[in-house]
Amino acid sequence: MRSNRIKMKARRSPPAAAIRDLSMPDATEKHLAQMESKYHGLLEAAPDAMVVVNQGGDIVLLNLQAEKQFGYRRDELLGQKVTNIIPEGFAERLIADDLRSAEDALAQQIGSGIELIGRRKDGGEFPIELMLSPLESAEGILVTAAIRDISARKTDEKHLAQMESKYRGLLEAAPDAMVVVNQSGDIVLLNLQAEKQFGYRRDELLGQKVTNIIPVGFAERLIADDLRSAEDASAQQIETGIELIGRRKDGDEFPIEIMLSPLESAEGTLVTAAIRNISVRKAAEMHLAQMQGKYRGLLEAAPDAMVVVSQGGDIVLLNLQAEKQFGYRRDELLGQKVTNIIPVGFAERLIADDLRSTEDALAQQIGTGIELTGLRKDGGEFPIEIMLSPLESAEGTLVTAAIRNISVRKAAEMHLAQMEGRYRGLLEAAPDAMVVVNQSGEIVLLNVQAEKQFGYRRDELLGQQVTNIIPVGFAERLIADDLRSAEDASAQQIGAGIELIACRKDGSEFPIELMLSPLRNSEGILVTAAIRDISVRKKAAVVLLQKVEELNRSNEELGQFAYLASHDLQEPLRMVASYTQLLSRRYKGKLDADADEFIAFAVDGASRMQRLIHDLLAYSRVGTKGKDLIETSSEDALQQALVNLRGAIEESGALVTHDPLPAVLADEMQLIQLFQNLIGNAIKYQSPGVPRVHISAARASGKKWNFSVKDNGLGIDPQYFERIFGMFQRLHKRDEFAGTGIGLAICKKIVERHGGRIWVESQPGEGSTFRFALAGR
Amino acid sequence: MPMEVLLIEDSLGDVRLTQEAFRDANTYIHLHVATNGVAAMAFLRREGVHSQAPRPDFIVLDLNLPKMDGREVLAHINEDYDLKTIPTIILTTSEAEADILKSYQLQANCYLNKPVRLDAFETIVKSINHFWMTMAKLPTQAISE
Repeated sequence: MRSNRIKMKARRSPPAAAIRDLSMPDATEKHLAQMESKYHGLLEAAPDAMVVVNQGGDIVLLNLQAEKQFGYRRDELLGQKVTNIIPEGFAERLIADDLRSAEDALAQQIGSGIELIGRRKDGGEFPIELMLSPLESAEGILVTAAIRDISARKTDEKHLAQMESKYRGLLEAAPDAMVVVNQSGDIVLLNLQAEKQFGYRRDELLGQKVTNIIPVGFAERLIADDLRSAEDASAQQIETGIELIGRRKDGDEFPIEIMLSPLESAEGTLVTAAIRNISVRKAAEMHLAQMQGKYRGLLEAAPDAMVVVSQGGDIVLLNLQAEKQFGYRRDELLGQKVTNIIPVGFAERLIADDLRSTEDALAQQIGTGIELTGLRKDGGEFPIEIMLSPLESAEGTLVTAAIRNISVRKAAEMHLAQMEGRYRGLLEAAPDAMVVVNQSGEIVLLNVQAEKQFGYRRDELLGQQVTNIIPVGFAERLIADDLRSAEDASAQQIGAGIELIACRKDGSEFPIELMLSPLRNSEGILVTAAIRDISVRKKAAVVLLQKVEELNRSNEELGQFAYLASHDLQEPLRMVASYTQLLSRRYKGKLDADADEFIAFAVDGASRMQRLIHDLLAYSRVGTKGKDLIETSSEDALQQALVNLRGAIEESGALVTHDPLPAVLADEMQLIQLFQNLIGNAIKYQSPGVPRVHISAARASGKKWNFSVKDNGLGIDPQYFERIFGMFQRLHKRDEFAGTGIGLAICKKIVERHGGRIWVESQPGEGSTFRFALAGR
Repeated sequence: MPMEVLLIEDSLGDVRLTQEAFRDANTYIHLHVATNGVAAMAFLRREGVHSQAPRPDFIVLDLNLPKMDGREVLAHINEDYDLKTIPTIILTTSEAEADILKSYQLQANCYLNKPVRLDAFETIVKSINHFWMTMAKLPTQAISE
């Protein structure tokens, strides 16, 4: 340095010669020399180019860095004007800086220096930053300039400025709200979207804490994101951002997703936050989650097997029913191709169905689905019906398939087809006209007999209303019969059918009997009608009725006649009989023997005639004077009969016994007469010994009672069993037994009038048992 | 003292039978006969030829009579203040319930059917005689006399 100083001095006569001012004492000079050397040392070691310039603007000192920076040798610059290397601005600074105090100057740091242009030896210019500080010296005030080449920094700055402007452009154009935050958490930049999203004006947010708009979470993110590298940060995309809550100016909160990326700037590391309002997405997500939840619930609960298939044909979802139907566990099917369970037809359907619009797809219902074959885990196949509907999801369009096992239905259909075939056969072969009618009353089926009966061709009746052939009564029957169960309906037989009038094609009517039975088939409930033409039967019935009426009338007339005849005959007969008896009484023995005999025959004849007339009258009275049948105590009737027969019983010494007898529907008088006749006979036709008669009754079918009058009398030869009930039929001579032979005829008439019948069981010599049946209650 | 009996009967055969039967039963009966209802009423009212007719002690009346039938006669007797105290016995072939009822309603004293057999007929007449002549008490004086 000493040599330099000297050298310097040699060139000029600067006032810096103050350094050699001999007036200074030696100690000071020594200190100064020390300072100088320290100073020189510092100068050389400085990283920046250092140049010391005197007040005249000449470079008096420079360091190695200055040599390098500017491309000069030291001796090429010493003594030169500083303007050689810093053309402009330095001098001005000098003056400017002179006005600042030394302390101020010292306080000034690099980075807050003056930017100027430096010029190299080769003429190249480069941006520099200058930092000046005064230096007192013997030669006056020198200025030390620390010169930093800021080309790199300037390039950076320029680049940054470009970036910044480009960035600003992007920022404004961004669809999302963009907010740039500094490390203190202040908003330093925001875009239009941010203004809109948060409801602030730009100036209201700039400089404000970001927590004003994102209360919670941002700061943490800052730290978190700071730890990540710039590449990591920039690789992060929206939708994998962080979800936080944003707050608008009006206090409303809304869900946001932020994506952060660091931004280097002159002001330090800033954080760019792209803020996306995800309220809609959040709502959709929630809805989707709900839907998914609901959907999953529906899926599990569905009675049919449900399988969701992706567009690749993989099963992505299935329910419990599907597991059961196909015999797989859920995990065995998830991810598998749907063709594992539905080998053929599904893929084609997918395409087919995808071509149909959502509405079309949704409109399709089960029952109009597609029939395919399902394959179980065990290899067993079964017929299925599938119904498809599309399902939008995050994974794309999926297809939901509802799969119904239709084995039963198919079997039923086949069975039904068989039955239908069989039924058709039966229908044709039926002897009666058969017509099948649907619920609307239309004829859907008929057989050849029906064609014949009604005089139509089959095609003339099919589809026609049944009222065309059965105008009245059929529809009502349909309703009535629908209300009866199938069992009731099928239990009804012909003969217990309904009588209606049918109409032929030619308009003629004829009576029919209808028997209906329901028939279930895929078209609903049909009614099969068996139609029988009963014209003949009806005519016969009418004729029968007529004949019966005639007969009744005739009978009545006859009865009347018999009665009147008998009654009217009685009078003159009474005269004859009475007077012949008087004659006999008064003149017996008073005339000759012939007269006696003649009179005797006359008396006898008259008597017989009287008895006959009397019996005839009695017989005819059974019908004409019969009373209505009412509940009658047959025991009381028997008792009365025994009272009436008291004389005969006492006379014969007969023993009459009886069991308890029931109440019966009878005409009491006639019942008494019945018992009286039978018991009277039993006593009359006695065999030797004590006549015994026993009366009993036993229950018979229906509500009938079979009475028995058993005696130990003469008995009757079986060949006469019928004859004895005839009128005036006698098996004995007149002188053997009294009686006209009308007794049993009267019994028969009485019993028949009571709706029963009378018969006898007997053997000659073994007594007789007369039995008759009467209706009880 | 003889009993006066009026028999109102159109059948001559029955008249004779009745006469014979009464005669057998009781010789003290004077039997007066009217063969139709009109004549019967004339006798009872002592009209015309019957002005001297006795008042019967009882009447035996058949129902089926010409000109005026027994039912009418009964009615007339019942209406007559004087005649209605005379016991009237219906003896007829009619068994009709209606006739029986009507007769009693018209205050007949009893209703009898003519038996078919002679002995039964004689028994009935004798019973009438026995009951009404010997047992039943008859009013001795007519009201008007």
